[in-house]
Amino acid sequence: MPRRLGRKVLPFLFLAPMLLMIVLAWVAPLILTVYLGFTDLSIKNLLAFIKDFFTDRVQRTLENFRRIFYAKDPNIGETLRVTVLYVASVLSINAVYALLLSIAIAYFTKNELISMILRITWLLPRITPGIIYALMWIWFIDPQYGLLNKMLQAMGVPDGWLPDSWLLRKPYSQMLMIMINGYVGASFGMIVYTAAIKSIPPDLVNAALVDGASEFQVARRVIIPLLKWPILFVTAWQTLSLLSSYEYILMVWGAGSGGQYGIARSAGVMVWSLYSYTKAFSEYLYGYASALSLILVVIGLTLIVLYFKIFGFKRLMEPSRVEV
Amino acid sequence: MVRVTLDNVSKFFGKVKAVVDLELEIRDGEFVALLGPSGCGKTTTLLMVAGIYKPTRGRILFDDEDVTDLPPKDRNIGMVFQSYALYPHMTVYDNIAFPLKLKKVPKQEIDRKVREVAKLLQIDELLGRKPAQLSGGQRQRVALGRALVKEPDVLLLDEPLSNLDAKLRILMRAEIKRLQKELGITTIYVTHDQVEAMSMADRIAVMNKGRLQQYADPQTLYNKPANLFVAGFIGSPPMNLIEGSVVEENGAYYFVTPSFKYRLPKEIGELVASKTSDVILGIRPEDIRIVIGDGDDTAINGKVYVVEPLGRDLLVNVKAGDTLFKILAPADLQLESGQDILMAPDERKIHIFDKKTGKAIV
Amino acid sequence: MVGRESLRKRRTKALLRRVAVLVVVLMVAVLPAIPIWLMYGWLVSQSFSGRVILGVLPSKLTLENWRFLWSPIAMGEKEYPNIWPITINTLFLALGVAGLVVMVSSLSGYALSRMEFKGRTGMMQFIIALHAFPSVILLIALFVILNKLGLYGKGFMTLVGIVLIKAGLEIPMATWIIKGFFDAIPWDLEWAALVDGCSRWRVWRSVIIPLVLPGIGAVSIFSFLSGWSEFLLVFTYVAQEEYYTLPVLIYHMIGEFIHIDWGMLAALGLFYAIPTIIFFSVSQKMLLRIYVGGVKG
Repeated sequence: MPRRLGRKVLPFLFLAPMLLMIVLAWVAPLILTVYLGFTDLSIKNLLAFIKDFFTDRVQRTLENFRRIFYAKDPNIGETLRVTVLYVASVLSINAVYALLLSIAIAYFTKNELISMILRITWLLPRITPGIIYALMWIWFIDPQYGLLNKMLQAMGVPDGWLPDSWLLRKPYSQMLMIMINGYVGASFGMIVYTAAIKSIPPDLVNAALVDGASEFQVARRVIIPLLKWPILFVTAWQTLSLLSSYEYILMVWGAGSGGQYGIARSAGVMVWSLYSYTKAFSEYLYGYASALSLILVVIGLTLIVLYFKIFGFKRLMEPSRVEV
Repeated sequence: MVRVTLDNVSKFFGKVKAVVDLELEIRDGEFVALLGPSGCGKTTTLLMVAGIYKPTRGRILFDDEDVTDLPPKDRNIGMVFQSYALYPHMTVYDNIAFPLKLKKVPKQEIDRKVREVAKLLQIDELLGRKPAQLSGGQRQRVALGRALVKEPDVLLLDEPLSNLDAKLRILMRAEIKRLQKELGITTIYVTHDQVEAMSMADRIAVMNKGRLQQYADPQTLYNKPANLFVAGFIGSPPMNLIEGSVVEENGAYYFVTPSFKYRLPKEIGELVASKTSDVILGIRPEDIRIVIGDGDDTAINGKVYVVEPLGRDLLVNVKAGDTLFKILAPADLQLESGQDILMAPDERKIHIFDKKTGKAIV
Repeated sequence: MVGRESLRKRRTKALLRRVAVLVVVLMVAVLPAIPIWLMYGWLVSQSFSGRVILGVLPSKLTLENWRFLWSPIAMGEKEYPNIWPITINTLFLALGVAGLVVMVSSLSGYALSRMEFKGRTGMMQFIIALHAFPSVILLIALFVILNKLGLYGKGFMTLVGIVLIKAGLEIPMATWIIKGFFDAIPWDLEWAALVDGCSRWRVWRSVIIPLVLPGIGAVSIFSFLSGWSEFLLVFTYVAQEEYYTLPVLIYHMIGEFIHIDWGMLAALGLFYAIPTIIFFSVSQKMLLRIYVGGVKG
């Protein structure tokens, strides 16, 4: 008997450390986020809350959600607009532009060496530690030292169109936000699509060429239709990760100003998740910030359930597989 | 229809020489098979004719037009791939219509032609299906339909039957041959299966290691192999090839090995001896007669080693010293292992190859 | 061949199409890549020169920008802590994360790959779901948890807390990757060892682990780099300068807007990127495969 019991218990012995870590890093904070969203936790009652989770100094309330949904918070509208702009434009870079990029690199470029150089180039922003990437952008857009304005001038863009500060002037700051995240995001799509394109049987492409297709027609009528699932996958995956990502915005717009989070709002790059972050760590309104996060959590969980429905388990595992 | 000419064509992939100095002419309406073991360069040759690979050297001509630099699109070819390469996201109808759509043929005409081809190939019932819903044989027909619908000048077939089961293969062999004769399309057919090549093609180009070995009609290939490779590759069971030397004794010429000695006909002996002495003698299994008891003085002494009944006839393994002969004998012949017999090769069917160059002398 | 365009016309058209393809490649993949090349070119040349011409051409070669390696860092009026303790903090974080992740996920990856138990499929789906879920949303709750565990504002212990959290966030994906490596080992190998009379533990230690070492190597490199690049957790939870890590230090130095010293920042950035450069050039293929498995971003 003990042997059989051992066989039943052993797997969980192996899994226990992982489960423990998952509880610490995922489950507990997830539950806590839900709870905090319904409280008025702030710097004033934080210490009491830490000492005793059930202290009566922390009120349970729906006030946070009233502030969000009844637009009592004057910044909500603007934040929502910026978030939609951010997600929609970066997503189209990640899913659509990356598709063109991958076809150009993995199909149109027949020379292996050039293809590899281009692939590594486009990967660099993702591999580079975020802060260095941010540093390079801050240099690149600097009106005095950087090259962006000089490049645009050389391309014939009139001086009047160039901003004195890419960081602060809307809509340039928003274009910058999209570019910074777009260059990183394009590589995600590129990796998935490139692997998918490479897995298309060469005969299929050859058949289309023999049938009389030009290179463009091969791309449009054979490669893109075959990449249906990878495209859906990238779109789905990136929607979720963009909704909640703000690291680069924080690095670029947080730095460069005396105050830590000051210029993100005036520059028009305050996205929802960053807004939640600043509410917590710059204004110390933990309850309200959690409520803002909770909305993202709900969206996130809904999307994940949806993804399992749409893709099924298998396709989520092998995003680059082409079904032939 | 066109005449296809490969003028001194070579294709190198880095250091690998896939095809070397290939000279080949395929006449208008001819059915030519490219035959050889895998890796011999036959598929590479086909893809060069298709325009997917560009030759490293040499020219490809359709009639008198130099098409070497033209992409596949501008060559009006039809091709069937080994994997069929049907577009998985399109129905059978759309697969067949695809080449016509690309040519911007009017819709009604597309419809008419697709149905016509589908009928010819007996797949008109399947037009609404996706390739994944088809059997291997059906896919093959769809692929053929897609290649034929645009009325190509040249039809290229890359091992089209290799993914079918044995029965279906024999069926399709006849059908493709009939279709080709009916439509009169210049056709190049790549295969590693000599039976396919022999049974279907007007002429066969045997290739090995990127080089053309022999280009001739099936009968010539079988009866007059130009070199050792062709002799060994064509025919099943393969030709017996025995190393030895030719020596003259008292005005007679002998083929001598450590195991036996065989007197050659005088004309052959003289011819060979005038060129070289180190040779390889080749004789097909069906060209040796087994004699029990007394034979004439040219017969070779042997001992039956193993008998393999093949149904229609017997494959007899006979040892003469250390040399093993394979002989096809009538099924009713009674033989036992270890039995002493005589082998009488048919003098007219003897092949002799130069050992150094591998080229046929007789 | 009646009604066909002339050979010359077809040839011209084919050439035009080839040019069109080239133009598309240029417009889509090459021109937009120029800023990337410029930025990295600048980073390298700026770090070794007194000033740069046109952004990327070095001039006045100097090691002055690298002085932070042997002297305290001053920028404007502010003096920053010495670089080496900060580097050690960063190293501690990266190694801690890598060690913890490898230990935990090789156990769980093995269990998921090889053991039958109730809820195995559910567990795998759960892991994938976690992998898709954006963890940054949880930063606030994690802050409260750190406080509750008494690890907030405690200097070094805060870093320990961050190691725990970061490892926890990485573990689902690492488990998945290692499971993939276990899946690739044929079962009969394990059976053979069991038949030879090894216990399951021994099998694990002496047969399986050597075979998944490449996977473990990949996961350790990956989690090391992920810990090395970690910014948000340290930035948010560490208040004392002595316990900064390199990215947070660099962030605060960029913040010195007026006195910004591009040369030193570039050098520091390059210094910080060294492990990434080394690991990536050594194990490019392996890392790429993991990136395809999906990294957030």
